[in-house]
Amino acid sequence: MKPYCKLLLLCALAGMAALAQAAPSPQEILAASDLVRNPDYPFGLTNTIIEYRGGKQADSSTLATYSKADPNGGQFRSLIRYISPARDAGKLILFAGKDLWFYDPSSKASIRMSPQQRLLGQASNGDVITVNFAKDYQATSAVEEDTADGDRKTQHCYKLVLSASTPDATYHHIDMWIETANSHPVKARFYSESGKMLKSAYYRRYQQQLGADRPTETVIIDGLDPNWVTVMRFSDWLKRDVPEAWLQRDYLPRFKPE
Amino acid sequence: MRMTSSPPCFACRPLLGVACALLAFSPAWAEDADDAALQLADSATPTVEQASNLKAFGEAAYGNDRLRDGSLRHNRRLSLDLQYEHAFAPDWRGVFADRLDMNWPAQAGRQRGINIIKEAYVSWQAKSELMVDAGRINARNGVATGYSPTDYFRDNAVRSQVSIDPASLKVNRQGSVMLRGQTLWDGGSATAIYSPKLGDMPHNGDFNPDFGATNHQDRWLIAASQKVSDNLRPQLLLYKEANLPVQLGFNLTGLLNDATVAYVEWSGGRSPSLLARALQRQGLAYADDSRYRNRLSTGLTFTTSNKLSVTAEWQYNGGSEDRAGWDSLRRAPLPVYGLYRSALQVAQESPTRQRLFLYGAWQDALLNHLDLSAMSYYDMQDYSRLSWLEARYHWERNEVAVQWQRYSGQARSDFGATELEGGWQLLLRRYF
Repeated sequence: MKPYCKLLLLCALAGMAALAQAAPSPQEILAASDLVRNPDYPFGLTNTIIEYRGGKQADSSTLATYSKADPNGGQFRSLIRYISPARDAGKLILFAGKDLWFYDPSSKASIRMSPQQRLLGQASNGDVITVNFAKDYQATSAVEEDTADGDRKTQHCYKLVLSASTPDATYHHIDMWIETANSHPVKARFYSESGKMLKSAYYRRYQQQLGADRPTETVIIDGLDPNWVTVMRFSDWLKRDVPEAWLQRDYLPRFKPE
Repeated sequence: MRMTSSPPCFACRPLLGVACALLAFSPAWAEDADDAALQLADSATPTVEQASNLKAFGEAAYGNDRLRDGSLRHNRRLSLDLQYEHAFAPDWRGVFADRLDMNWPAQAGRQRGINIIKEAYVSWQAKSELMVDAGRINARNGVATGYSPTDYFRDNAVRSQVSIDPASLKVNRQGSVMLRGQTLWDGGSATAIYSPKLGDMPHNGDFNPDFGATNHQDRWLIAASQKVSDNLRPQLLLYKEANLPVQLGFNLTGLLNDATVAYVEWSGGRSPSLLARALQRQGLAYADDSRYRNRLSTGLTFTTSNKLSVTAEWQYNGGSEDRAGWDSLRRAPLPVYGLYRSALQVAQESPTRQRLFLYGAWQDALLNHLDLSAMSYYDMQDYSRLSWLEARYHWERNEVAVQWQRYSGQARSDFGATELEGGWQLLLRRYF
């Protein structure tokens, strides 16, 4: 082989190696998109939920959410307080993995909940709490493709296939589209173990919040009944310290928002 | 298209034709549905509600009781319920909760109007993990749904019973005046309570603060919990009231699977029987039968994927009468039997040793915003039964509910002794 051929071959191999190294792994893509949805420090926000059925508003609620990542596993724990409707105002839910507690200030009762218990209409517990998908799911593949985002614009994305990797995962597997250019999550489809699509979610209305461009709205569409639509809009983002001692059942009667 | 993982398996080529046909159809359908949903979301104008310090509602009720003599009794009630919290200084806040019931006719032994100061206390957060409260506080312990042996401050707390639903009994009750301190740490907490004697007897006056009801003796309680695993966080309690040795308590819940929660609540200690206490309080002679007695409540709550939760609970009360004692008491002179029943009613204790309790709640049952609830107590000693059903529909601020109840059993049985055989009531509630 001639010297310049060897040089060309070496350059080509080096280039391929560099490309291969630059291409993020599916799990890294997922982790980067988690950092877009959630800051990597404790924070609070207001989640306004509107539920539509058959094109008409059927329900609405406002929740104050406080989240902090577990120093051990990295998954978020969340304290959620109902602000509205009036009948539920002041009620609290603590989500710490599968340690779920519901507290009603009227009865002073703290009730242990199972993950299957849903208190928020179509939005499952897993939709409402702050979740780092990379902690509960393993991304097994990433394929580049164009897809329509929540504003019906075409975006070039990685399509990730996620498989539940911990017992705390809400869904069996997820297809998730993440913009290649900026790690913005665009949409996701959530599936049961039988392969039934349970719901779709669009992440949209990106705004600067807590130092990054973050989705401030999630639109959830039921997998069986597409006329069942839930809109979750996030506002009042705030960096907020959440002491570890607060994330337990016995603190719920004490919790007061600032 | 660039792959960053291994390519998909094409081993099942014969199925590809069918799969492709299906896939070719479903994405288009899904995209159309998504477009329609996103258009709907585009038009959404969410109103961000602000948290309020005040939570209040008014309620009107109308019902018919069917008495055992065959007659009917019409009931009407108007209620006003409010909770108010206010932070009046950094780390200081005040809490006030009150309920006024106006009944026609008046509840037995009561005035027409019953005002309950449920809570009135100040709270000081000395540090983020140290709190001190003083005033009338509704302190509630326990994890069981129906009977809570460690809910030590329930004695005499229900001044006005507007429903037999356990949830209502927990909400509509008067707190006890106490000093309470709590400290928390990562994974655990400890609480200490001292509640002094402030009166001798309950008072039935309309607006009487009724210190004699929930502060008729000196009491203290220490409770501590510690996380021992992701799934288990037991709570231990020590409770002491005047003229009674220290009682131990224990609470534990666990997740059996994603749909089932199990719980156990126990209290034990040396104490006289409830019959002895009831009679001695009235100055009647009764031999001291003090010995170690257990109280236990344990059960499971199972939730289906369509928001139906069912709880089954076994209740054991070692202070109550066993089968022989209960049979004997049912044949005793009526005043003795009546004293026992009325004393246990205010103490919220069962008259017999064992009961089964079933509770079902179905959220958004059959149609959106309709909640159905059902409850049944079954006395395992005398086979009497109490059944209760509720259908409740709610709007943004309004609720309408229909409740039905039935007491069945032999004369002087646990649930067959009431003058009430059954009845229903219609409730209208408006949140402000």
